[in-house]
Amino acid sequence: MEKVLKLLSESESETVAFGRKIGEYAKGKKIPVCLYGDLGAGKTTLIKGIGSAFGISERDICSASFLIVAEHESVPPLYHIDLYRIEGREALHELGIWEYLEGEGVAVVEWAERLEDRPPRALALFIKADGMDRRLITIEDFDEEDWNNL
Amino acid sequence: MHILGIDSSCDDTSASVVDESYTIISNIVSSQTEIHKKYGGIVPELASRKHIEMIWPVVDEALSKACLKLDDITALSVCYGPGLIGSLLIGCGFAKAIAYAKGIPLIAVNHLEGHIFSAFLDNNKPEFPFLALIASGGHTSLYVVEGFGMYSELGRTRDDAAGEAYDKVAKLLGLGYPGGPIIDKLAHEGNARTFDFPRAYLPESFDFSFSGLKNAVRLEVSKHSKDISNRAIIADIAASFQSAVVDVLVRKVEWAIVKKDIKRVVLSGGVSANNGLRKKMSEMAGERGIELFMPSIALCTDNAAMIAAAGLHHFKSGNLASLDLNPKAYLPL
Repeated sequence: MEKVLKLLSESESETVAFGRKIGEYAKGKKIPVCLYGDLGAGKTTLIKGIGSAFGISERDICSASFLIVAEHESVPPLYHIDLYRIEGREALHELGIWEYLEGEGVAVVEWAERLEDRPPRALALFIKADGMDRRLITIEDFDEEDWNNL
Repeated sequence: MHILGIDSSCDDTSASVVDESYTIISNIVSSQTEIHKKYGGIVPELASRKHIEMIWPVVDEALSKACLKLDDITALSVCYGPGLIGSLLIGCGFAKAIAYAKGIPLIAVNHLEGHIFSAFLDNNKPEFPFLALIASGGHTSLYVVEGFGMYSELGRTRDDAAGEAYDKVAKLLGLGYPGGPIIDKLAHEGNARTFDFPRAYLPESFDFSFSGLKNAVRLEVSKHSKDISNRAIIADIAASFQSAVVDVLVRKVEWAIVKKDIKRVVLSGGVSANNGLRKKMSEMAGERGIELFMPSIALCTDNAAMIAAAGLHHFKSGNLASLDLNPKAYLPL
């Protein structure tokens, strides 16, 4: 069976802390992160944490639904991508999404289900709300040992 | 003196001529709403293509309405961000080409600064200092404005912009796009007390947060999934949602008035066209003896007149842009 890591966050600050560890990992390996979760699941909060691993202040990360791609000039750059409003292969293509995924920076993609294929090497993250504060975060192809080694 | 303003930051192509006293000589806005409506939101590459198609006709119209030629233009003021990068590129590329070809000075304006300057386009201009609330599809920020070019941000949204929450809730309710005007209208039919949606006042902070509210609406909608076509329930949800957004925006401004001891408030951005917000903000201003500046609806939403107005000030202070100007999608003020 494929390995899966399940994390339980009891608060927003814990979600941010998980995000930070994930961010450190993605930054170290220079791999994209695909994020899956419903409206209000806590994707933005998780990305605030990921961004903090790149030295980006939490307040500089907010929803990217409007911009689609929010490019942060960190080292390496962080591309916060939100595909909520993107539908169809052509739209994805014209967005230049592949250039971001294979660019010099690290891409974090919200609503990654809009991508037809998951980019190679990408970390797949699922976040789900369980009540007002609790969040269940699942990382595919990752286990306790990987997590503890971070 | 004639400043030609150009804004292509999002889905509207706009050009405007403003003179040295902030008088609008012409202000042309070519809206793409009809194009994006069927997709439930702005489709970036469609927006870029439409900008390419519209930029010349819109600039031509702005010039001919003002009875001017490009040679009569003193300076060219262009919005270089924040916004959709593909859209911004069209406006910036166009402005740079014209500036180079005609030898016209180029000015780069932040879209948010433009929104603040929309207040100067009305007959009744605010004196400094004032508070500025910019609420739109892409932004929700509160500033203290001490003078031209002197802006300090008190707070901004930590997650979704107010207008974005409107669009997402409208989508959840199956109401279409753009969400703001649709929900605003429907809210009048509903009872705002039916659902007690959360208001994120975030004590000790001037920041905003609308994600929790959006989530609460989503949960409520899922409870009523069987009667989602029942107009009365939808209207009640719309009214209750709108009242939560408006309460937070008004209360935050009120806190800033007290904390910063500032007696003038400017509203701008697309959400400032919302009737519910205008009404409640006016009531609060009346009770507190605050001077409230709400630009007309056409000047609250994206337009190039505000870009020209902000550009006028930069031009006067000799703050010109070079031809290697690059647009930026993310550009805090």
